[in-house]
Amino acid sequence: MDARPSFTALPTEILEAIFLHLDPRSLLSVAQTTRSIKKLTSDAPIVWRHFCRTYFKSWAPHHNISTKLAGPLSDVDWRALFIQRIQIEKRTVSLLDSVLQTQHARIRSINEIADFGYDAKETLLRQCACPDDAEDVLARRYYANAVLERIQREMAINVWKDLYNGKPVPIERALGAYDLFARTGADVDFDVITEDLDDLAKAVLTECPDFSQLSTRMKASALASFLRDQGFKGVAETSYRALRNSFIGVVLRSPTHESLPLISVAIYCALATRLGLDARPCGFLFHVYCLIYAPKSHTLDGVYKPTSSDVLDSMYLDPFRSSKEVGQDDLQRVLREMGVPVSEHESFLSDTNTREMVLRTARNIMNSVQTIRQTEAGVYGIHSTWLDAYPDMDNSFYATIWAMLMLGPREEEEHGGLHNVSTRRRQYLPYLLEHFQTHYPWDVTLLEQHVIPLFYNQPEGGRLLSFVHSMHNIDSVRKPVNRRGPGPENVHFKVGELFKHRRYLYEGVITGWDTSCDAGEEWIEHMGVDRLANGREQSFYHVLVCDKSVRYVAEENILRAGGEPSEAMLRLAGRHFKRWDADKNRFVSNVRDEYPDD
Amino acid sequence: MAATSADAKKVTLTTSDNADLTVEREVAERSILIKNLLEDIGDNGDAIPIPNVNEAVMKKVLEWCEQHRKDPPASQDDDADSRKKSTDIDEWDQKFMQVDQEMLFEIILAANYLDIKALLDVGCKTVANMIKGKSPDEIRKTFNIQNDFTPEEEDQIRRENEWAEDR
Repeated sequence: MDARPSFTALPTEILEAIFLHLDPRSLLSVAQTTRSIKKLTSDAPIVWRHFCRTYFKSWAPHHNISTKLAGPLSDVDWRALFIQRIQIEKRTVSLLDSVLQTQHARIRSINEIADFGYDAKETLLRQCACPDDAEDVLARRYYANAVLERIQREMAINVWKDLYNGKPVPIERALGAYDLFARTGADVDFDVITEDLDDLAKAVLTECPDFSQLSTRMKASALASFLRDQGFKGVAETSYRALRNSFIGVVLRSPTHESLPLISVAIYCALATRLGLDARPCGFLFHVYCLIYAPKSHTLDGVYKPTSSDVLDSMYLDPFRSSKEVGQDDLQRVLREMGVPVSEHESFLSDTNTREMVLRTARNIMNSVQTIRQTEAGVYGIHSTWLDAYPDMDNSFYATIWAMLMLGPREEEEHGGLHNVSTRRRQYLPYLLEHFQTHYPWDVTLLEQHVIPLFYNQPEGGRLLSFVHSMHNIDSVRKPVNRRGPGPENVHFKVGELFKHRRYLYEGVITGWDTSCDAGEEWIEHMGVDRLANGREQSFYHVLVCDKSVRYVAEENILRAGGEPSEAMLRLAGRHFKRWDADKNRFVSNVRDEYPDD
Repeated sequence: MAATSADAKKVTLTTSDNADLTVEREVAERSILIKNLLEDIGDNGDAIPIPNVNEAVMKKVLEWCEQHRKDPPASQDDDADSRKKSTDIDEWDQKFMQVDQEMLFEIILAANYLDIKALLDVGCKTVANMIKGKSPDEIRKTFNIQNDFTPEEEDQIRRENEWAEDR
């Protein structure tokens, strides 16, 4: 080697190895130095794939990113894909900024981000983790999280839709939809649940290398023992109703793995599928068991038994309680003791489908939410108990309503009970609308896409449609401006002030005001406004209460509160406020477009 | 076989400029190329020709191998680019790499040829660090690169790269 080497004369593979250590911007800089390097960087898929892989962990499902990553390098324009993701990131940040700047077109902007799906997830998580001293910290965290939740709800709804349409949806996905609905965070994802289960299945094979050689009965008990050894032991009576026990993603990740029987069985079945064991849930009375089937023409003990019958040998297990087999006669005895007619035994003893498990989980979650509300309701029923519940109570409850709507019986499935069924589905609508209007108005697009078609040709369909239109209309016009006049002022409190309700003592914050009561006559009468000392002509305030409710309160009931806002209040306040100003003792308004003088 | 005596065994390497360098076999075997050669031909005491590396560079490479003789062998995982590359280099290696640019490139080429993954990696990181955070002009100066773009091409590249600009 006579000529001493120079940078541009290095072999391509070495230049690529160097470029792999660069960040994208430095790569572009070096690309601008000379033609040969420019050509090399544009045509270096290995570098761009590396950027795609290391800079972005979450990908919207339509990318099929794991297939792409596993496939041949040249099948994908990695550079274009990386640029696309960077552009999505920028657009997401700028849309979020506009969401934070004005209430105008907020729903539209949120939904535009939501259309990016999981491509926006990391950007949103980064925004959720903005520094404590960010100028609009509360609002930024609130809305970044709200958009992420909106994205996850859509993913969950689509899974349930697939399930309804008879597509093969693994049980962990169908139940994991509740996790996606109720929780956010880097580890909340269908893929995380799948990976957790894959890891467990691998661990079974490590522990029991000859698993595949075992008879069905031995496999069944080996798997049940394995799960118990891993700490999956159901849950004690005392915390049976805890909300978290119904979320498969939470159960897989929690240190104690506490779960309801249904989730224990679901985890068992999901692992069994991975290990080549046919296990299905059995929806017993007040309990879920597991039914395990031998392969056709085999007994549970692995003996070859040729038969033309399609009936498979089977056994029961209760992975929630033990690893021991449960006798069918024991189950029948329980049914007899509970007074179930023999003709109905069959339906409690046979296997059930994933859809039933999702609906049953909805009922379990509803029960948990009700239990929390009942046992922890304060004297006036106004408390911020939601803060202690995990996952979030309102999100969980909202999930159950969606599950019921998407998966509940529909007319074409019922025989002659058409009227009945639409009544049943109809009964969830008010809950859905109330929840959605209070907490997630940006879900209007989900309503349009997934709920309205359910009520096609029914009176609700039309009403929902005009409701949706009016929401879009309101979103598209600027909020009417409420200025404080120069004359005598009867509105004594300002947007952002923390207060205590004089009679109900709850903590609230003022989000808006009217110079006199602006509610309808019916409400005024119902609430007895005219019986107040100052009647309907005093100023009235829109307020956000620490229990997440929004209320309308007369000035005479507002007591200025000293001190700091509660943790619950801080979490909610982001919907209307930028941050807490400790010096001025109030929240900094983010609704100046509506109340410019406050 | 007796492990201790095998470890202390020496091998001789003949460089491109016909210098014979004698080192402990363990040190030389940081190079996968040499290791495989020794396994294939058996250690008969003959000098091993390394026709692509001259004496000065080979000495430098062997200095590195000596320092890193006890490092765990490089993992043969082809998924190496799944992690974000870090350009952290340990202190000894940083000092080691303080050589003129031509020597740096020659070490990299030698590491590549001799199949010493960790050394190649340190070399590439060092070059990457010389690029990071610099403007195209500064990079050209650093590596003495000729700008052969026309002004029109430069304009076009700027437009192409707009996606990477800050908002």
